[in-house]
Amino acid sequence: MSEEDQLAMKKRVQRLVYIAAGGKIKEEELGHYGTDLRNLGLDSLGYLNLLEGLERTFGVVIDLDHEEDHSFLHTIDNIVRFVETQRGKAA
Amino acid sequence: MESLARGPIQDAMTDALARHGGRRAMVGGAESLTYGELGGRIEAAARRLRESLPAGSGEAPRHVGFCLGNRPEYVVLYFATLYAGHLPLLLDANFNTGEIESIRGDCGLDALVIESARVEGLAAVGNVGNAEPVAFADGVVLLPLARPGETPFAPRPSTQVCRFTSGSTGRPKCLEFSGDAVVSAARNWVLGTGMTGEDRTLCLAALSNGLAFNTSLLSTFLAGGELHFLKGVPLTRPVANRIVEAGITRLVAFPTLYRNFVAPGGPDRSAMASLRHAISAGAPLWPDVREEFRARYGLDISDYYGIAETGPCTFERHADHHAGLGEPLPGVEIRIAPGAEGEDGEGAGEVLVRTSSMASGYLNHPGMFEARLDADGFYHSGDRGRIAGGRLHLVGRTQDHINVAGRKIDPTEIVAVVSALDGVADAVAFPDEDLNREALVHLVVVAAREDAREELTRAEITAACRSRLAPYKVPGRISFIAEIPRTGIGKPRIAMLREQLNATAKGTMG
Repeated sequence: MSEEDQLAMKKRVQRLVYIAAGGKIKEEELGHYGTDLRNLGLDSLGYLNLLEGLERTFGVVIDLDHEEDHSFLHTIDNIVRFVETQRGKAA
Repeated sequence: MESLARGPIQDAMTDALARHGGRRAMVGGAESLTYGELGGRIEAAARRLRESLPAGSGEAPRHVGFCLGNRPEYVVLYFATLYAGHLPLLLDANFNTGEIESIRGDCGLDALVIESARVEGLAAVGNVGNAEPVAFADGVVLLPLARPGETPFAPRPSTQVCRFTSGSTGRPKCLEFSGDAVVSAARNWVLGTGMTGEDRTLCLAALSNGLAFNTSLLSTFLAGGELHFLKGVPLTRPVANRIVEAGITRLVAFPTLYRNFVAPGGPDRSAMASLRHAISAGAPLWPDVREEFRARYGLDISDYYGIAETGPCTFERHADHHAGLGEPLPGVEIRIAPGAEGEDGEGAGEVLVRTSSMASGYLNHPGMFEARLDADGFYHSGDRGRIAGGRLHLVGRTQDHINVAGRKIDPTEIVAVVSALDGVADAVAFPDEDLNREALVHLVVVAAREDAREELTRAEITAACRSRLAPYKVPGRISFIAEIPRTGIGKPRIAMLREQLNATAKGTMG
């Protein structure tokens, strides 16, 4: 994936997080893609909405029971890497 | 179950286990248990509980706190605790260490049933470091605790189960229920909703919550049905898969899940083919979500009404009736408060409820429950509503509590935390909604210093709230204002405040 595509994907995930949080996290706060989303206030309901959004937007399956380490959901950078990997596996 | 403790709940369960022995009782993850197997697991666990947690002096029951997500082992250990002669106290799995510690101090906790992974995180709770956890199935442990001396409150002799509601100042209120009340709630739910042995209930609400406790736990077993749990996050994809694979007939869930079902890209109609009842509670269901769900899946969502202190109150059994919250369940009487301060000109007033499944009182707040009962034993719900066509219709609240995902929050608790911070001159908290229409706590602050940087102050306030409040009580929105409008007696004028904030937001945008 090119840098340009990766940046575009990060912006899509950023938007998904903003929507998932119901606007409680400001979009500019989400602009630092390495920031831990939990520290920004993404709560369990926000994560539920985010996971739904990620599955529907990118067509990936996220099964937390089969992922021992959940740090792939902690930052936008990590989420993008996870989605890329999942899509690679599917292809 | 010979030689184990008896009581109304155990007697009802023993009867159910005997009557339905070979039928499937419970499914969670890869685990599936028949009634016979469930009874065996409960009995074995009860005997282990008696060994590892012997009764106190004078055969006093031990207090066992459950702080755990839904899973078969929760059910096994809940009943095992009763059969061992102990008292289960069902805590919200999201309670923080401070809240668990306050429960231990108020109510006395002799042990906690938790996931083994949480043991380390609970180091702040009394004497955990010295205790040896007792391992049960599925990564669940019983963690013995040392009692902090004499506890100030003792449960009533008839109390068989305790559940909690959000309290002020970080002290969850402990509701006591007699065994008769618990059995009555389950029997009335079975009778009033037409539950049968053919029902397969998928319960996604936490068993510590009255919704799940009363609609799913004992009631399913009394009817001879199947209780299903979903491992992991309740996304619509795995929920729909489970409904299809297991032929689920009843879904017990919360409004957000139903909203996600009807969102673009949600499961199609075939996913709900087996479903007969979709039950929502915990928070008000959005009318458009109910309509879209009906249009997409051909099924009405039953937006039942229940109160933590009284148990289930109403249920709509008629698929062609779409307004209101249904008719009173068996054993439930509902009145609208009469008089100048009760019923208004349009027939709405405070909803008063009397049920055969009422709590006995608050263990750690003596007199508070009794103070909300009228002379006839009807409980003042704090909700405003009317009865029309035999059905209950709610129109609002008479109290200032904030309902976030079914958890009632006392705004004064949040204001107390924030007001104690340097640089805060005044504060008020009230219910609001986020962009997804989910309820949130909106905190409005008056800064003491004019030069206080808003961003820094917001971060400070959030950090302070996170460190002292349960996660669901942390304000989802924080606004700053020069002055909070108040009445002559100092009560905040919330409607006026909302107008001011809206005007400010529009000004900022435009």
